[in-house]
Amino acid sequence: MGKDAARAEWDNPMQFVLACVSYAVGLGNVWRFPYLCQMHGGGGFLIPYLLMLVLLGVPLFYMELAIGQKMRLGSIGAWRAINPYLGGVGLASVVTSMYLCLYYNVINAWSFWYLFHSFQSILPWAECPVNSNLTGHVEECERATPTQYFFYRETLDISGSIEENGGIHMGQALCLLLAWMIVYLFIVKGVKSTGKVVYFTATFPYLVLIIYLIRGVTLHGSINGVKYMFTPKMEQLANPTTWINAATQIFFSLGLGFGSLIAFASYNQYNNNFEKQAIVVSMVNSSTSIFASIVTFSIYGFKATFNYESCLERVRLLLLNTFDLAEDTISLENVIHWIAELNRTHPEQFTSLGGRLETCDLEAELDTAVEGTGLAFIVYSEAIKNMPVSQLWSVLYFIMLLLLGMGSMLGNVIAVITPLSDLKFISRYMSTKTLNGLVCLFCLLLGLGFTTRSGNYWFTMFNDYGATFSLLFIVLIEVITVCYIYGIKRFEKDVEDMLGHRLNCYWKIMLAGVSPILLIALFIFYIVNYIQGGTPTYQAWNKELGKSVVTEYPPYAQAFIGLLLASSVCCIPLTALYTYCKKRNLASGKRERTVSTVSA
Amino acid sequence: MISYVFWGSLALSGIKEGMLVWILFLLCQVGAPALAQDLCQRDAPNGYKVRISLKTALGEDAYEWNQSEMFFFQATMAFAMRRHFQMETYNVDNIILCVQTSRVSFWFVVTSPDNTTMLIPKADVEKAVRMSRHRINNAFLLSDRTLEFLGIYPTLAAPVNPDTPPWLIVFGVVIGAVCVGIIALLISSLLQKRRKEKGMTEDGQDEEDMQVKGVENGINLDGTYNRGFTDDDRFTKL
Repeated sequence: MGKDAARAEWDNPMQFVLACVSYAVGLGNVWRFPYLCQMHGGGGFLIPYLLMLVLLGVPLFYMELAIGQKMRLGSIGAWRAINPYLGGVGLASVVTSMYLCLYYNVINAWSFWYLFHSFQSILPWAECPVNSNLTGHVEECERATPTQYFFYRETLDISGSIEENGGIHMGQALCLLLAWMIVYLFIVKGVKSTGKVVYFTATFPYLVLIIYLIRGVTLHGSINGVKYMFTPKMEQLANPTTWINAATQIFFSLGLGFGSLIAFASYNQYNNNFEKQAIVVSMVNSSTSIFASIVTFSIYGFKATFNYESCLERVRLLLLNTFDLAEDTISLENVIHWIAELNRTHPEQFTSLGGRLETCDLEAELDTAVEGTGLAFIVYSEAIKNMPVSQLWSVLYFIMLLLLGMGSMLGNVIAVITPLSDLKFISRYMSTKTLNGLVCLFCLLLGLGFTTRSGNYWFTMFNDYGATFSLLFIVLIEVITVCYIYGIKRFEKDVEDMLGHRLNCYWKIMLAGVSPILLIALFIFYIVNYIQGGTPTYQAWNKELGKSVVTEYPPYAQAFIGLLLASSVCCIPLTALYTYCKKRNLASGKRERTVSTVSA
Repeated sequence: MISYVFWGSLALSGIKEGMLVWILFLLCQVGAPALAQDLCQRDAPNGYKVRISLKTALGEDAYEWNQSEMFFFQATMAFAMRRHFQMETYNVDNIILCVQTSRVSFWFVVTSPDNTTMLIPKADVEKAVRMSRHRINNAFLLSDRTLEFLGIYPTLAAPVNPDTPPWLIVFGVVIGAVCVGIIALLISSLLQKRRKEKGMTEDGQDEEDMQVKGVENGINLDGTYNRGFTDDDRFTKL
């Protein structure tokens, strides 16, 4: 199955490995894995996680690389070559990748926004801004925290619900424009430029993570967080959700089903040893997750200890002021002791304190588990503002987030562009540069919708529903196609052709047996969960209360969710039907022609 | 001075009036502090509570709060009242302090210089304090947070609004660099393509000439060169 020799190629296999690492190691490693670790029993979560990596992650990763390298085409062409009726699988991948492209770059835009705002003497999320008559702070900020206020009001200018639209936030739009321009800069010359960029985007985040690890473990109180994370709670292993979440995390973290891996591998040399590379990339991805969670938890521990000690300080001051004691009588260590003492000696005065006396609990502070954008932009920035030289740490942190995000973004965009540039009618009329530019422009214009006042709610909708369900379906069809429709024997022969040795029995058992079963189980679980969950809800920011409230999606938003899910999944049966009809017309057309020549 | 008055009145008005004056004088000496106590008390309607946190503000360098410091406070408050009312008559005696605690907190009231039994209303005292707050803080090496007048909220610093927000400057730099990068890449690839095209046509000319001349392996062959063996599809390859 040869493609013309003019197909671009990576300069060396290292570029390919780094591209895969850069794609797989993304924001999910930093903000989803530590959350899952915390939710599902700390160190104990590693058992289902590593098990799922071996049973599900590595074999599927291997399969996608093999397909890409063999067919030397993007996802649409590759799946059409495997089986003409299942070309829709490739199309579904492209549609899903397109959705991902639309909303993922918005995260990079936020990272840019925070990065640019870090170049100030006082970080803008460190303090509440003063109100118009200079008597106090802005009310919304008083009710929430300064970091929440900065994220929801100044960064997003968020409205009260998904129905209330507003104008575009100009700062966000500019940052999104910059993000797309940088993506274009990275892909403008195809794999030639991408191959050079991934040297940087794959390695620099590790440098920053190491710096942050050293900074994190030397912070006061960080040991509380690390201890909390690694204390295994083995009883969580009995909970089926733990195993489901482990499988889902492996699945999405490796970026299976988007078509990016197929696209990357299609630029490989025919005899590239992708087997070793698949194992290496998967291991690197998982170890990065564990490494990042150590960093996250040391920062968590610092933040929790800081808040706990601030709480104690406030209680101490309250006691000193109410009972007019000298400043050095109560110190942070004996606050608790003094509370009991004063309650005993001055009961009436003590009760007059009433609700102002807070209870300070370190465990409760550590228990506040957050994931996603809330972790990255609110919790982390709160921790950073309390560090000495906070501007430097802020700049470093957001550069790391940007690199992780950009690296993954490269994979997403290449997953869309490679199949498009393989289509004959596009490559005839447009050069790659023009095609790349048009795709970036198109995604930018649609992505501006996420920069409106209700944009964050649409973002959350895309994040939760755009890629999760459809990917499971796509990869399930992929595995069944390769193992049973294309045939595991043919696949084995192709791999032997490329690598020079036969498929190990581990791969055969996993691909043909274990992985499909696990995928079907995951798929059923998702459907059951979705049906049982009732009306889909989202977190809306309430200005008056200063916190998020759970709100139901309006009917048109629910219809849009349905459209998101259906649009990518439907590609598969529709394309199969279309191919079937075309083949039938072709067959009947041929029969007609043969009849006519005979008659003539 | 009062003793001179006493002796003078005694001499002038005789012993009876003198006794009256003496009794009044004694009452004044005893009564004045009592009167002052009545004026200054905890939760006095026209008084303010002051709270000082020396150790929080100065740590190791904290000075000791003693009667001299209290006198200093009275002096600064008198200064604040003079500054606000533009009257030179306020004195240390017009500031009455009471209810001192080890927290270092106390109450104070301000009496009018003309009539020591009359208190200056709360609102006026507040205005005076607000006007000279910065001077009072600096006198004690404290800040708004560590020298608190309970009930008088400090005006927060006005936010600094630069003409261009600083983030826009950094954004401008970065997007400028990216634009330059994109344009450079596009132009370089355009130039590369043009150079390749030009190179191709020039190569073609050279090869033609060489074949016509019949040069092969450096040996000049005389004779006609059989064109049947030339590489015809050289141009159609790409």
